[in-house]
Amino acid sequence: MSVVTTTLIQNTNGAPEAVIAYISKVVKLWEQFIRGVEKVPGGSLVLNYIRASHKNDPWRTLLEVLLALVAIRYFFASKYSQDEKEKVHLSEREVQELIDDWEPEPFAPPLRKEERWELDAIPMVKGAAGNRVALEDPKTGNIIPNLLNMASRDFLNMGLNENVKQRAIKTIRECGVGACNPMNFYGTQDVHVRLGEDLARFLGAEEGIIYGQDYCTSTSVLPCFLKRGDIVIVDGGVSVALQKAALISRCHIEWFNHNDLDHLEEILESLQEDLREGPLNRRFIVTEALSENFGDSPDLKRLVEIKNKYKFRLYLDETYSIGTLGSNGRGLPEVYGIPRSEIEITVGSLAHAFGSSGGFCVGCRDMAYYQVLSSNAYVFSAALPPYSASAASAVISMLEEAEEPGKVNRYVKPLQDNTKLLYSLLKQSRKLQQVVSVRSAEYSPVLILRLAPALRKKLNLPESYGGPGSDVLKAIKNGHEEGYFSRDYNRENYLLQKMIDELIGRGVLVTRSKRVLHHELLPVVPTLLINVNAGFTEEDIRHAYECIEDTLSTTLSGLDADGLNQLVQQLEETNNIL
Amino acid sequence: MEKFVYTRLPNAPEEHLSEKEKMDMEFGPLSSKDYLYEVSYDPNQPLNPAVDEPPYFVVIFTYLNYLILIIIGHLKDFFGKRFMPQHFEAVLPKNGYPPWYSAFESFYPRRLKKRLDDCFARPIYGVPGRFVRCFDRISPDYNETFLYSGELKPLLNLSSYNYLGFAQSIGSCTDAAVKSVEEYGTSSCGPRNQIGTCNLHKETEALVARFVGKDDAVMFSMGFGTNANLFTSLVNSKCLVISDSLNHSSIRFGIRLAGAAVKVFPHNDMEKLEQILRESISQGQSKTHRPWKKIVVCVEGLYSMEGNLADLPALVALREKYKFYLFVDEAHSIGALGKSGRGVCDYFGISPSKVDMLMGTFTKSFGAAGGYVAANQEIIDRLRLDISTNVYGESMPPAVVTQISTSLRIIMGEINGDEGKQRLQRIAFNSRYLRLGLKRLGFIIYGVDDSPVVPLLLYAPPKMPAFSRMMYERGVAVVVVGYPATELISSRVRLCVSASLTKEDIDRILTICDDIGDKLYLKFSSGISGGEKHPGDYKKGVPPRWSLKEVLERTPEDCKKPTY
Ligand SMILES: Cc1ncc(COP(=O)(O)O)c(C=O)c1O
Repeated sequence: MSVVTTTLIQNTNGAPEAVIAYISKVVKLWEQFIRGVEKVPGGSLVLNYIRASHKNDPWRTLLEVLLALVAIRYFFASKYSQDEKEKVHLSEREVQELIDDWEPEPFAPPLRKEERWELDAIPMVKGAAGNRVALEDPKTGNIIPNLLNMASRDFLNMGLNENVKQRAIKTIRECGVGACNPMNFYGTQDVHVRLGEDLARFLGAEEGIIYGQDYCTSTSVLPCFLKRGDIVIVDGGVSVALQKAALISRCHIEWFNHNDLDHLEEILESLQEDLREGPLNRRFIVTEALSENFGDSPDLKRLVEIKNKYKFRLYLDETYSIGTLGSNGRGLPEVYGIPRSEIEITVGSLAHAFGSSGGFCVGCRDMAYYQVLSSNAYVFSAALPPYSASAASAVISMLEEAEEPGKVNRYVKPLQDNTKLLYSLLKQSRKLQQVVSVRSAEYSPVLILRLAPALRKKLNLPESYGGPGSDVLKAIKNGHEEGYFSRDYNRENYLLQKMIDELIGRGVLVTRSKRVLHHELLPVVPTLLINVNAGFTEEDIRHAYECIEDTLSTTLSGLDADGLNQLVQQLEETNNIL
Repeated sequence: MEKFVYTRLPNAPEEHLSEKEKMDMEFGPLSSKDYLYEVSYDPNQPLNPAVDEPPYFVVIFTYLNYLILIIIGHLKDFFGKRFMPQHFEAVLPKNGYPPWYSAFESFYPRRLKKRLDDCFARPIYGVPGRFVRCFDRISPDYNETFLYSGELKPLLNLSSYNYLGFAQSIGSCTDAAVKSVEEYGTSSCGPRNQIGTCNLHKETEALVARFVGKDDAVMFSMGFGTNANLFTSLVNSKCLVISDSLNHSSIRFGIRLAGAAVKVFPHNDMEKLEQILRESISQGQSKTHRPWKKIVVCVEGLYSMEGNLADLPALVALREKYKFYLFVDEAHSIGALGKSGRGVCDYFGISPSKVDMLMGTFTKSFGAAGGYVAANQEIIDRLRLDISTNVYGESMPPAVVTQISTSLRIIMGEINGDEGKQRLQRIAFNSRYLRLGLKRLGFIIYGVDDSPVVPLLLYAPPKMPAFSRMMYERGVAVVVVGYPATELISSRVRLCVSASLTKEDIDRILTICDDIGDKLYLKFSSGISGGEKHPGDYKKGVPPRWSLKEVLERTPEDCKKPTY
């Protein structure tokens, strides 16, 4: 290297005028540049720093320049070369030919003939949906009046409560219907602030924040606190909303078997080493207080012990349990006598037992404040309609006013009594035991019935659909939309719908899970759902039970694979015509 | 000071307004038929108006401002964490628990946004109509907490997306909504596909479809949720979504959830879009080079931060050529744009059949809540069964549905005579008047002439709270937006025009803006995007700086001429 430098210097010494002029020009430009940099505010600081460091250690300057060059190269390289290298070189004519040849798949896959019945199976309510409801047949326009409404999630029968309605109407008369603005821009009405306070007080948390829709709450809350590098351990039976929330967070996900806390501990134990050595990333356990798919609850006491032991935070989805569990409807922690402060994040729905619409999240102040800043569905969406906030507040104050120490709240009691009654009737029915199993627990206001395992075998139905390793998941991975359809799943659902139709004929409206296979990460089993309501009398429940028992056992006990084929033949025949 | 005694938001005081006074507060009476304007699209009008550049020193000062704010922020963090850890609990590990959020990811909100927190989330009471009433509040501790006096401050409302003025507590919509609550209650009882569909939904969906000019439509209870959950039912990892760089966060969220491949084209740059299309179709999927299963181009009808329209004529031409599916989010344009309020297709005179999917929200022009998707029958049939919100989420509550159907019928002229038409013509006039007036005063304004969103550029971040507070003191509610919702240097105030404002209200706004513009040094337009006093001024280097008097005298007439 020194040889090169010396020759360069020698050369310069003997260089012609032009080269010297050129060099002096470069030097002048450099000086101008330096002066320019000095003028930029803060520039002289930078220059002084460079000069000082150069004087102390010239090698460092060289090293830093080299590093800078490498960084620049890396920056440009990562942006372009990968793509560029992979690109196929094509002439303009070839490009045009490819464009002319390209045929996209349909925007949304058209419904198959054999799925169309699903569309007709969506019940259309005529008028209000209280604990009695009228349906309209969309084809004939016939009205089927006065059905016992066992499909509604307005568990406490508050949607048509006079008091609640009057509060809502008062707010509409003051504020109109829509909020017209996101919460952060003049969208926060006093009624929103009140509802936040009411929720926090009712549930025993520091702060409550409100979302425009229940389904969007989790997918927006969880990614606030979980990013790449963080860890979440999720119950292996959670609802789609939570599955998607975990997925979109892009953090590391582990699944534990549904409500199996031993398995949870095992996973935590196996993670210990990594956790102790790695950086202090954020860690959550995510589960539902009352499972949407299974209708049971985890052992909250043990769960809280576990999460405290391993220093994980608990994210509890109380969508189904608020208003339905606990003496005053305060959810699972009330059942276990655990203070809300033990649960770091609670989310829930205002559209179920609170008889209104929207979603909410409660917890500590710092956590709520961060959502106000950065939760997508909070920041980038209009606030909940003020009247819905008022309606929910009205329900909370009714629940609070009816509170009596040592007693079950009088608004909640009928729901819990009805639930227990229907559960024990269904569970003890000999006729039913052969054909269906009650999957939900005795406290779940949604009774979940599945075809009994023996019957499934007899009918040649698989144990479950979708989930890890299934054809549907493969189809998703390959973007193969045709593969989203499962013939057996369609047939089983059709069988359940037949029974629902029959029950409608007998004056009872129940529903079933309508889960879409390609949205689910976890295995799915079709279920009949029977929603209990605080507005039912004991007679209603007994009547419903009789109808259900009779319909289910008549349809299902004698049914075999051939029978099922005959029943669903119609579906496949329409397909043949195609 | 003494009057600010409440540490939490007090209840609103009793009101003593007559019905008429209340009505006028919500929707100003039209003072003259002169202040109406029927929109017509002028094909010569540039869809990407020339963007005015601020003077050099404004840019430098803006960066300098950020530099200082960032340095001070880091100093505060550095010393604060060491000497006052009690104020930093949220970002410090505690008892072996990691912080809720890292100091780094929350630096911007904690250290920059906090300084202007008093300009955000001002609690209000009542209808956000022509006037919005804010709870008067001060902060004793630099926006950590607020104290309230219990009084309401009425502000002229330039902040709400109340384009057609349907945010009302008196009138046909409200009466219908109240009746709906009486009859149907407050709950929607469950997901659409289980029990949540009632006759109201069916009727209103048919109405929406008819309004936007598609076979069928499906509604959801939240606009954000509509986009967020739509794309998982349309695209997958073997599909490509090409998205405008300024698309709303809900669209980006939805695409991410769907796991589709994404390419982004610079805002409204049709040449670049075509380039991406040619390349994507010919190259196919990355690595495998298999053809894409579908390509979807996502744009917004009216961009709510820029006031720009999608270049629909160009997009439709590209769609014919490249067979992609065109998705247009009309959240801000539906109701607010076009001769009959039917959005961008109506505005450009393009048949809705040329757009594959029209999405929109009811939060804005209709004074309701929720969103819709409208498309061919075949597509909507699939979506009804497939969209996760319909299966797992709550459906739209009855009173909201009623508000939508009533306001739609008014816009379509099916009830209340020409009320709908007048609302459309009022917002058209108000938008053009305010925009031209501000341009003539010398402000830098973005967007096309007919857009009801009027962004006024502030640049330096400290001008955001200053502008907002000064407007507040003078009785006007505005929304200021800065980084990260905009580019770093182009902080702005976004004025949303409404049909509920009168011409006199806009006179008042112009007067106040003129005053504040001088005080905050905001008038630095060059005239490149309009407002010249004499044709050719810009070329001569004469910037538009009309006097207020001249603006108020001449603009109401001039703004109706197509050349402005
Ligand atoms: C373009 C766009 N899409 C969707 C939304 C979300 O709508 P909503 O506020 O009804 O949730 C918005 C709202 O700001 C929007 O601007």
